[in-house]
Amino acid sequence: MSPFRSIRRPVQLAAIGVLAVGALVLTACGGATPQDTPTTTTGAADPNAELTVGLVLEPTNLDIRHTSGAALEQILVDNIYEGLVTRTQDNTIEDRLAASHEISDDGLTYTFTLNEGVTFHDGSALTAADVVSSYETVRTDAAVQGNAQFAGVTEISAPDDLTVQITLAEPDQNFLFTLTGPAGLVFKTDDGTDLKTAENGTGPFVLQRWMKGSSITFDRYDDYWGEKAGLAEVTFQYIPDFTAGVNAALDGSVDVLTAVDPNLVSQLEDTGEFTITTGRTTDKATLAFNNARAPLSDKRVREALRLAIDHDALVEAVGAGQTLYGPIPELDPGYEDLSELVPYDPDRAKELLEEAGQSELELTLTIPSIYGTTVAQVLVSDFAKVGVSLEVDRVEFATWLEDVYTNHDYELSFVLHVEPRDFNNWADPDYYFGYDDSEVQNLYARARAERDPDASADLLKKAARIVSEDHAADWLYNGATLTALSPGITGFPEDSINSRIDLAGVTRTAG
Amino acid sequence: MLRYALTRGVLLIVGLLVSSVIIFFTLRVLPGDVAQLVAGTQAGPEQVEAIRKSLGLDRPLPAQYADWVGGLFHGDLGTSQLSGASVGAELWEKARVTGPLALMSMLIAMLIAAPFGVLSAVLRGRSTGTAMSVAAQTVAAVPVIWAGMMLVVVFAHWLGWLPAQGFPRAGWSTPAAAFESLLLPALTIGIVEGAMLMRFVRSATLQAAGQDFVRTAAAKGLTRRQALIRHGIPAVGLSIVTVLGVQVAGIIVGSVVIEQLFTLPGIGRMLVVDVGTRDLVKVQSELLVLTGFVLVIGFLVDLVHHIVDPRQRAEAE
Repeated sequence: MSPFRSIRRPVQLAAIGVLAVGALVLTACGGATPQDTPTTTTGAADPNAELTVGLVLEPTNLDIRHTSGAALEQILVDNIYEGLVTRTQDNTIEDRLAASHEISDDGLTYTFTLNEGVTFHDGSALTAADVVSSYETVRTDAAVQGNAQFAGVTEISAPDDLTVQITLAEPDQNFLFTLTGPAGLVFKTDDGTDLKTAENGTGPFVLQRWMKGSSITFDRYDDYWGEKAGLAEVTFQYIPDFTAGVNAALDGSVDVLTAVDPNLVSQLEDTGEFTITTGRTTDKATLAFNNARAPLSDKRVREALRLAIDHDALVEAVGAGQTLYGPIPELDPGYEDLSELVPYDPDRAKELLEEAGQSELELTLTIPSIYGTTVAQVLVSDFAKVGVSLEVDRVEFATWLEDVYTNHDYELSFVLHVEPRDFNNWADPDYYFGYDDSEVQNLYARARAERDPDASADLLKKAARIVSEDHAADWLYNGATLTALSPGITGFPEDSINSRIDLAGVTRTAG
Repeated sequence: MLRYALTRGVLLIVGLLVSSVIIFFTLRVLPGDVAQLVAGTQAGPEQVEAIRKSLGLDRPLPAQYADWVGGLFHGDLGTSQLSGASVGAELWEKARVTGPLALMSMLIAMLIAAPFGVLSAVLRGRSTGTAMSVAAQTVAAVPVIWAGMMLVVVFAHWLGWLPAQGFPRAGWSTPAAAFESLLLPALTIGIVEGAMLMRFVRSATLQAAGQDFVRTAAAKGLTRRQALIRHGIPAVGLSIVTVLGVQVAGIIVGSVVIEQLFTLPGIGRMLVVDVGTRDLVKVQSELLVLTGFVLVIGFLVDLVHHIVDPRQRAEAE
């Protein structure tokens, strides 16, 4: 027998294996959404308590300086790493490592006074010099997260060990908020720690162990400078499959389950053991139109598509969240109820399409496969009622990034834009929305330069109204996240927990 | 014999090299790249470019290939572009979940397939035999993911005997818990694979029954059933070895689905995550190791055949 023949089969098998894995992967990468939680209490908090929290999306590494993604921010910011300032669940800014901060009258100089007694997890004391070196890196290294937002920074200095001064070229209403994200975190100067797998932060928890593909465990940092954490140990258990997550909550292997699928929540409610909280988010479920390309460059077509969508029914089908008719969600400055702009009106939609000469329109929706099928199904059926046939192209997230985000090669796209205060994308004609309106750009620039927060929010409100009146996209809904808590857990954050789960205040009763 | 093993061994190495080229270049066809994923949806082109450069992705493909294969010759499977961790170490860690899972699945499959396969062949034409083969056909057609969910409902939810998902944090240092957490996934694969294998055992047994040497044995005074059991079934064993080799490979590839369902930190889930994040250095090493594993099984199966089956030896020489 020919030995060659016998070897060929395994090679083919191997090749098929490669393809099979590739295909599976096409369906399996992930962006995720989370939730939050509340609590019931009886009895005293147990200082030795441990908690297991079920999450969907695992970070790819722990290097929050170089890697983007909610999965990292969610667990690391405030728990492991801290910045001068942070944000609360409802997105207001408050001091963290800074005991206080001051902004000069011209809006150009920010002066922060640091808290005393702050130490890194390796025991060394934090000084203003560490803040300076951290922020200098953000300012000068293009590969670091937040580099673009630091473009207006002209000087970062430390007049003394507890004072940091940052000077901007022009006033920037967004700057302080930028410091609440990864760009504002403080790392030790010239630290040799491999940030991808280890950490040396200043937060109330230290990294104990990361089992890739499974869980990350934090221990309380007993030398924390502020109030010490209420839990001795927290484990984040990563469960990408929603059904498996509910199973884990039911069999007690997780104490808190975030991002509960609304369709599965009744299984947890029925037991009577879980408290379910609904948390607000800044997730904007965005149906993007390629404004730069026909037929969506025609405003009548965009308006028709928006009028054709029954937003209330869509929110009901999704199972959680609320309607949103503009680019700014309730938790961000500049929010306004714009529902009057696109009342559900399929007849008017048909008229508009006819006027635009598009009565037999065929469109393609490019949607990352991580998002389930509900939204696409609703859109297909709503659009069919006005004579638009929608083809749904489900792609892996990496593919979406290349085709839609980078190459702008799409007609309609759906993504959950989770970042707070990201209106800048509508003022950037190079962003994948392809939306280019000089008045919006102008208003946004003024909003940034405006020193009074209320006046700035008013300008944003005007800009957001224009974007919605132009039907630059449709905002299908503002996401909400469900969290299930088993009894005895207090202080678990509720809102915005897909970008921040601050665990310092969480406690658990004994027993 | 030695010559056969040597030739076959050289071909094994050639097969691995060819696979490495195919794996490396086909992965590069995938749209999207790790730098873009690292940068996220708020990053500008400069940031993506800076990240791409820091990961060495701006180098020409042949150079990247040479780096990888060069490392392989020194036993170095490379370093993950995303996590910075050693690929070899992580693969070994995940194999400690997937390996035992595959073995347990195979064992369960064999325990189902061997007795019932032979029995349904022997009982061919009778209603029990027919019922068994219909049952096998039905179970084999069940999607693994559905079978898994059913087992979870019964054994985890209703009876509460076994965990529905996850692997103990302490791993195999808590052997009982580790074993328990693999039991449902192994049963899921084992039952479905066992049903498929059972059909194979049945037809192989029937085929053996029609062979000359079984008929000769029968002519010498054994009953048909005795002849089948004494002479036919040993001959069936050999072809089962072959099928098993293929099945093991299939189970490891199939572990992607089951590890996802049961949230097991094994090779399948690792691959899913790594391909999704375009951590290609890691993916290519992982795939090559799996390919190597399949090729080695093929090699061993061929050697066993060569040693055991005189007809093949004659053909080869």
